[in-house]
Amino acid sequence: MEQHILEFQHISKYFPGVKALDDVSFQAYGGEVLAFLGENGAGKSTLLKTLNGDYQPTSGTYLLDGEEKHFKTPHEALEAGISIIYQERQILLELSVAENIYLGRMPSNKFGVIDTRKANQMAQEVINEFGLAIKPTTKVKDLSIAYQQMVEIMKACSRENLKVIAFDEPTASLSDDEIEVLFKVIQRLKKQGLIVIYVSHRMSELEKITDKVAIFKDGKYVATKVTRETSQPDLIKMMVGRDLGDIYKNLDRNKEIGDILLDVRNVESDYVKPTSFQLHKGEVLGFSGLVGAGRTELMRAIIGADKLKGGEIYLEGKKIVNRSPKEAMEHGIVMVPEDRKLQGIISNLSVAGNINISLLDRNAGKFGVMDSKKEAKEAEDGIREFNIKTPNPEKKIVELSGGNQQKCIVARGIATHPKVLILDEPTKGIDVGAKSEFYEMICRFAKQGLGVILISSELPEVIGLSDKIIVMRSLQKSGEVLGSEATEDGLLSLGMMGD
Amino acid sequence: MESTAKKEKPAFLKAIGGDKLVLFFAIIIVFVLFTILNRNFLSGTNVINILVAASLVGMVAIGHTYLIIAMQNDLSPGSLAALSGVICALLLQKGVPIVLAVLITLCVGALVGIFNAWMVNSIKIEAFIATLVSQMIVRGFAYIICDGKPVSISNQSFNNIGKARLIGIPFSVWLMIICLIVFGFILAKTKFGRSVYAIGGSAEAARLAGLNPRKIIRTCFIMIGVLTAAGGIVFAARMNAGQPAANVNLEFDAITAVVLGGTSFSGGVGDMGGTVLGIILIQSFNTGLTMVGVSSFWQYVARGALLLFALTSDYIRKQRRDKELLEASMRNA
Repeated sequence: MEQHILEFQHISKYFPGVKALDDVSFQAYGGEVLAFLGENGAGKSTLLKTLNGDYQPTSGTYLLDGEEKHFKTPHEALEAGISIIYQERQILLELSVAENIYLGRMPSNKFGVIDTRKANQMAQEVINEFGLAIKPTTKVKDLSIAYQQMVEIMKACSRENLKVIAFDEPTASLSDDEIEVLFKVIQRLKKQGLIVIYVSHRMSELEKITDKVAIFKDGKYVATKVTRETSQPDLIKMMVGRDLGDIYKNLDRNKEIGDILLDVRNVESDYVKPTSFQLHKGEVLGFSGLVGAGRTELMRAIIGADKLKGGEIYLEGKKIVNRSPKEAMEHGIVMVPEDRKLQGIISNLSVAGNINISLLDRNAGKFGVMDSKKEAKEAEDGIREFNIKTPNPEKKIVELSGGNQQKCIVARGIATHPKVLILDEPTKGIDVGAKSEFYEMICRFAKQGLGVILISSELPEVIGLSDKIIVMRSLQKSGEVLGSEATEDGLLSLGMMGD
Repeated sequence: MESTAKKEKPAFLKAIGGDKLVLFFAIIIVFVLFTILNRNFLSGTNVINILVAASLVGMVAIGHTYLIIAMQNDLSPGSLAALSGVICALLLQKGVPIVLAVLITLCVGALVGIFNAWMVNSIKIEAFIATLVSQMIVRGFAYIICDGKPVSISNQSFNNIGKARLIGIPFSVWLMIICLIVFGFILAKTKFGRSVYAIGGSAEAARLAGLNPRKIIRTCFIMIGVLTAAGGIVFAARMNAGQPAANVNLEFDAITAVVLGGTSFSGGVGDMGGTVLGIILIQSFNTGLTMVGVSSFWQYVARGALLLFALTSDYIRKQRRDKELLEASMRNA
């Protein structure tokens, strides 16, 4: 059997404001498990999506076994033998296992009537091959998440011509036993000579299952390493492209932490269990934990973006109730949301419009008519103070780079003169240069006496900036560590302990 | 809006906007074409007729401009205009003073707006479907309260509203012009206008930035309700009767006018100036078709085609905006 080769040739992909992929070229070989490794926003998922026709690359081509490929839709990619198993399940819960496996190509008789019995027989053969204990007739919704994922994999593998199979964070919601089953399946696929691509953040898994690691950073391809011949620190260094210590050591941190500013007692919503913490004036309070641990949800409950089910919030000793983000803002609490594209920027507005949107009351004159001079001044102040790189204030915000867009959102929040600033993954998908600007900004806010809450999944960032770190797990607080005493391992085990 | 992206444009083009210029030429083409086919098309009387016919559509289109910028829609104005006419006529028949009758009718318009906003905000029904519900219910009530028969209006001072003229221009046209100016100003220059654009761009981002999208959406629905009711009242005065079966497909023409005017279904983009041109274009088109003797059946097809044309140009404009953005960000990235 000839070895399959998948070649990525000069793949670039631009989105408004973001260079998601920048001239990526490398090869993947059949019979090997190749990991994609990189920070959030390094371009791993985008690369997968341009590979299977979800996105069209802005430039560059793919060669599969020497043949140039352009897929307009995921379906075309599938027909050509490329299948991607996404984090979000792509199966139909109301249908049976067999129906899902043969979705869109169910065996039928000459009148076009579907032959369910034959489909079940064929599905049973696939299930046997995988050595699983499920029935083809079971409805997928009655299966565990792990088995639902297996159905997806079987669906991909039941295609005769499958050449490439990619897994996007497949273990994110699996238990250890389930992960073992998945790894066995992956080993089998590898032995069949398939090109297996494996995207994961979990370093320990890479050693167990992958042969090679392709490293990405800021949309660029860095290198491919043989997993056995490398070490975790080496990989991390290539992934972040710098020695992590330095950036944080040189920061001018605030040393005078004041009185209690925000006192959150047993705050609870539909999305977060009762949680308490205190934030002091001039303090940077980090929030660590896995994605989905409830950090964002806790903050949304505090600012009234989600309905508060219980608990109390005291600001400077006075009890406050925030029924909406507007009320929170009036009390002096603002949040810069994680999802910049959907919750941060208002894409149709200019840079000035975005900075000023929280200041409508302040910038309005009589009868609600806007004072254009005040608006222009506020915008200019924000652009200057936060060093926002834009040709002019009337430029549409989506035309700026991701980092500059984010600065606009921070400028918007700071313009309301808050006491508490909540930053949810503020440096996600932002290049290194802009990141250090944000770090300096955060220290400056603390020096000015603001209480800063920093949610971050990047451990070095949260350790390097925070005076105190709260770790959350399974929708509640699982621990509290002083910034000076925190280690990456310590935070990780607090964030994952028990599961 | 679009003009910011390009550089070397003459000042007057910038002021009017490239897309509006296209619309302007479209209006001229329609006028030239129909004038060739029928000399009377360009006569003073006919131009006034076009404006009078446009006045009701215009009132509704003002409301739709706000709604569509805020990513909402309303299919109930046709029914509401009819209901308003009938209610006002019935009240006058009962001897209610004109001012009170008008106020009550406007309140009904506001109530329908509140009902629409409630369905959209609280039961989370898509505006398109929610207002289909009220289109049915409101039309039903228009028939119920008058037993399905037109209600004639004998109050002469009320009927004079329909006939009154100032500098040769009828009251209904003046009302539309004043509303266009006032609501155009509110949209472009005030806090409320800014909020409408913001929630049209991203309702969730605007909410987290301290706006109240539900309230803004409610205000927009109340606005179109009151504007439609006002239009319906004037229409009844012109007809000397409230007619429960009148104004079918009114919203269709209004939405066509707004989209022709450059307001985008993708939200957050548009202005009242475009709507003015859209109203003129669609009404001269409709009136012209009648004047040159196109059968009413074929007129349906023509109006559908016009909306398709409007939507297609909306799509092309959006594609162009996206492309410009992409190119701009490639330069910046």
